[in-house]
Amino acid sequence: MTTAPRRQHTLEVLVENAPGVLARVAGLFSRRAFNIDSLNVGPTENPAISKMIIVVGVEGHSLEQVIAQLDKLISVISIKEIMADTTHAVNDTQPDYQN
Amino acid sequence: MATHVPTANGTEMTGATSLVKSLEAAGVEVMFGLPGGAILPAYDPIFDSTIRHILVRHEQGAGHAATGYAQVTGRAGVCIATSGPGATNLVTPLMDAAMDSVPLVAITGQVPSAAIGTDAFQEADIRGITMPFTKHNYLVTDPAQIPGVIAEAFHIATTGRPGPVLVDVAKDALQKMTTYNWPTSINLAGYKPRVKPEAQAITDAAALIAQSSKPVFYVGGGVIKADAHKELRQLVELLGAPVVTTLMARGAFPDSHPLHMGMPGMHGTVAAVTALQKADLLITLGARFDDRVTGKLSTFAVNAKILHADIDPAEIGKNRHADVAVVGDVRETITALIPALKAALAKNQPDLAPWLRQMNSLKSTYPLGYDLPDDGSLSPQQVIQRIGQISGTDTIFTAGVGQHQMWASQFISYEHPRTWLNSGGAGTMGYGVPAAMGAKVGAPDATVWAIDGDGCFQMTNQELVTCALNNIPIKVAIINNESLGMVRQWQTLFYEGRYSNTSLDSKRVPNFPMLAESMGCVGLACDNPDDLDKTIEKAMSINDQPVVVDFRVHRDAMVWPMVAAGTSNDEIMIARATAPDWDSQEL
Repeated sequence: MTTAPRRQHTLEVLVENAPGVLARVAGLFSRRAFNIDSLNVGPTENPAISKMIIVVGVEGHSLEQVIAQLDKLISVISIKEIMADTTHAVNDTQPDYQN
Repeated sequence: MATHVPTANGTEMTGATSLVKSLEAAGVEVMFGLPGGAILPAYDPIFDSTIRHILVRHEQGAGHAATGYAQVTGRAGVCIATSGPGATNLVTPLMDAAMDSVPLVAITGQVPSAAIGTDAFQEADIRGITMPFTKHNYLVTDPAQIPGVIAEAFHIATTGRPGPVLVDVAKDALQKMTTYNWPTSINLAGYKPRVKPEAQAITDAAALIAQSSKPVFYVGGGVIKADAHKELRQLVELLGAPVVTTLMARGAFPDSHPLHMGMPGMHGTVAAVTALQKADLLITLGARFDDRVTGKLSTFAVNAKILHADIDPAEIGKNRHADVAVVGDVRETITALIPALKAALAKNQPDLAPWLRQMNSLKSTYPLGYDLPDDGSLSPQQVIQRIGQISGTDTIFTAGVGQHQMWASQFISYEHPRTWLNSGGAGTMGYGVPAAMGAKVGAPDATVWAIDGDGCFQMTNQELVTCALNNIPIKVAIINNESLGMVRQWQTLFYEGRYSNTSLDSKRVPNFPMLAESMGCVGLACDNPDDLDKTIEKAMSINDQPVVVDFRVHRDAMVWPMVAAGTSNDEIMIARATAPDWDSQEL
């Protein structure tokens, strides 16, 4: 665990548009002691999918850990970090699943 | 058992029947549960099902039994309960299963959908309650969704990092008519666990190992979950490095193997703890740097690089930075690592002999041991050790939580995976008896011993009634020191012997053999070392009834070695105020 200075990151998170999903995301941040500076939820052109814009205050843990824990939620479909000038995908949602 | 005949898609039936047909389609053979109002519609088709339903006496027993079944078989355990208090009684087993990555599917009834949110009779928001410690959970109000949700629940519980999934079904969804439609495929946009490791990560891992002169295999419970014990042994013997197995990994690598240094952690062996502390590389396989293993994190294995292989990407770097991370199923990872390491070792074969000599010196200088009580009373460690020796290495052992659990992990020799079941992450007192019940159902031909404490036993012993009535002949050893022994040990060491509320008086009340007899079990007692072996042999000879033995042991025995909570592994004590003689070791 690092003790880096507090930094803000903005995440664009696509989630299932289903009851309880906001509680899943908010609960994860609360129980893992991650900081939410702001959170917005809105629709996308696909009615089955909602978009969350989460501003995360990273302190005492890494952004990678926040993203990895968020990605474990089954209701979370994808996570992108929105940079000041660009965006890039930070999680692995490639269809690499094998069984 | 009747053979399951698949139900044709498109058949009309109630939601309740659809639920039971879906469980059959998911391959469920056994479930543990207790009915009530909201789940009652499902119990009618259960009456006709091929699934064996075992009626427990408390829902917590159903949950831990399902866990024991899952840990022994590798398949999802299933428990079922009604709404409200029935569902909340599953909370502890669900949290327990989440902490130890156990595949579990819990079905709960919910009040009718129109009553949800009205504080209806026996209404509890069990989906909300269990969000933090289920891998996923569902509230179903539309009967058409039942087959798809059940298929997803089993898929999520058993793939990737295993874990518990709860399906809450509203009563009206069970009562309404629906068309049964079992899905032919599952596609979850937000769930794509990586099973096969990246080739580059394997190459990097092999190179890191080949550069190391003091490597240690740090083996966690994931190796057992992935059925990777055979591959692990090949990898270990290829490199010839020492191995430690965590509390959740006991049995993943044979205790009798010369490269095995034992269990690391708060009550680990000196050799295992020191191997981690002095290593230059931890080859971490399906383990998660739990605080009970690392001690004070900033002082843990400070000179070691970390190779971390885990199926859960969120474990990488959570507690300790990984120099090389390999995300994937640990059996796939080890299988890929073996040829890669052979190639890397062909270029550079490090000399591990000095390192092994140091570790073997520690292992022989500081073996696990105990002193027999001066007053001739029964030693708890000896009781547990003799049960292990007499019962043999094919026996399945479960434990509660506390001193007896640590002694059972230390003084029983584990040679095979899935023979040691305990509550590692959650530390759930009362796990032992119901987990043994589930284990015996999953492995009916195996001898199953629950090594329990007198405190733990009094939390969940009601399931012995279930065992007696359902032909589940487990054996229970109560290590009766008439105390909450581990808490008492901490009071001895850290609270100046002020024994606040840790005395249970359980040599006086209850009378455990009589309690056992009243529940349809054979009750035995032993308080004399001369009677120890014949008491264990008597228990071993009874196979048509559960047996409970009250071993009335010395009260003041303590678990050693010990790394006190929050301190460094370097401060390991082999007895009270006694550190290893480090000056005599060439480290």
